[in-house]
Amino acid sequence: MEKSSQDQPTSQGQQLPTPVDAAAPPVALSASDPAHDILAGQTSTAAPGSQDKGLSRTQHVVELADSLSTIADQLHERIMREIRGYAGGSVPDQVQATLRKLFDDETVLRQRANALYADAASYVIQGLDQPQSRLVALTTDAAHKIRRIGVIGEVTGLVGGLLLLAGAVASGKPTPVVLALEKIHLHAKTLDALTPTPPGPTA
Amino acid sequence: MLRRIALELLLVVGVLLGGCASHGPVSLQEVREFADASAKLGGYAELSRRYRDTYEREQPYLSPQADRIARENDVRRKAVYDDFVAIQKTLVLYMQTLSLLAGDGRYDLSARIDDLGNGLKANTGSGLQQRHVAAYTGMTRLLTRVIASSYQNRSVETMVRDGDADVQVLLDAMISLTRLYYKTNENEKKTVLGIFDVEIPFSNRNSDRVLATLAKVHYLNKSTEYKLIDRRYELALQGLTKVALGHQKMRENMDKLTGDETRRMLANYGRDLRTIRDGLNGD
Repeated sequence: MEKSSQDQPTSQGQQLPTPVDAAAPPVALSASDPAHDILAGQTSTAAPGSQDKGLSRTQHVVELADSLSTIADQLHERIMREIRGYAGGSVPDQVQATLRKLFDDETVLRQRANALYADAASYVIQGLDQPQSRLVALTTDAAHKIRRIGVIGEVTGLVGGLLLLAGAVASGKPTPVVLALEKIHLHAKTLDALTPTPPGPTA
Repeated sequence: MLRRIALELLLVVGVLLGGCASHGPVSLQEVREFADASAKLGGYAELSRRYRDTYEREQPYLSPQADRIARENDVRRKAVYDDFVAIQKTLVLYMQTLSLLAGDGRYDLSARIDDLGNGLKANTGSGLQQRHVAAYTGMTRLLTRVIASSYQNRSVETMVRDGDADVQVLLDAMISLTRLYYKTNENEKKTVLGIFDVEIPFSNRNSDRVLATLAKVHYLNKSTEYKLIDRRYELALQGLTKVALGHQKMRENMDKLTGDETRRMLANYGRDLRTIRDGLNGD
């Protein structure tokens, strides 16, 4: 599919050299120095774990798309060289028509390349369900923990009960003692339910 | 009765101590700052939207033949947009939660306990002595702080350790996607600007003058716009790379999270990320 558009350049190709020097070395612009240019780097770098197949497929598609983009760039350069040849003078209509046609070809190539980039993007997405749902689970879990830490306020309530009890005991009045004890009971129970289960000595 | 009270007290202290691990109180301020900066980074969401809307921008410049393919591409890009955004939302939520978990002082209840002690002091008709109140207050303050901090510390550890592999996969995907956005944008840019490269030199008749002038102005505007956008791809990628690296380093130094060197390193990542965000917001 992608090939066909560049194989039929549609130019009448009179005095112009045919633009189909598509055999020119594909890619060279950006991919040559991925370490330096963050934008041009390989589309998949870290490749953690199990997704190797998906990644290599993505990579191939991206490389193909990069070549199409590069060919389009070269085609554009060729068109511009032709135009510059007229040094600002008027370009004959026939030549204009041919160059326009070539430029159309260039944009078609770019659309083909973008189609492949879109494919590659959907490959990137594939296989991310698991990491995503694991991370969501982890986050939810942590949110629970945060809520529990927040409830450490309960400890304060418990301490309040303790202090109340201490006061009541000191004053020797029975009713406040019972009340304070009830309060402590309630808090101790809540706290029990909320105490983080310590994951053993390892942590 | 008194024995029962003693028992209760013992139980309560037991519960309190049960929460204590070997860790001392820690400050996870740098973790929180890093997580905050990561959650707020920006760039990716905007560039995802831009990618989704590619067709709307390029459509006026397309030949019928190119337009046919472009429409198909448009459908493809829109079909996966939600997935692109979902990845980011997951990560942002993770970072926000991590930040909360590493929250410093948020769970320090000493102020509230002090209040409690003061309140009690006010009506000490009960016979409770000042030094008792002070002792209780001191003890409970210490205990709550230790529980909170050790528990927090452990939770941050767990989250970073268990999350790192998935965080890296998702960030890697976001980096890959941003590069694809960039490449797609390159073709869009060259399509939009290219037509002027070709057509302006053809328009040198007197009757073309107004049109040619308008075209030149449009070309200048467009080329400035694309230059600014290019910078955003670069910043977004730098940011994502920093988040990935920072999280990885955090996992690697989990056992010395409170060490000066680790804290300094994390603080640097946090600062870099804020600088990048400022760069993204600046334009």
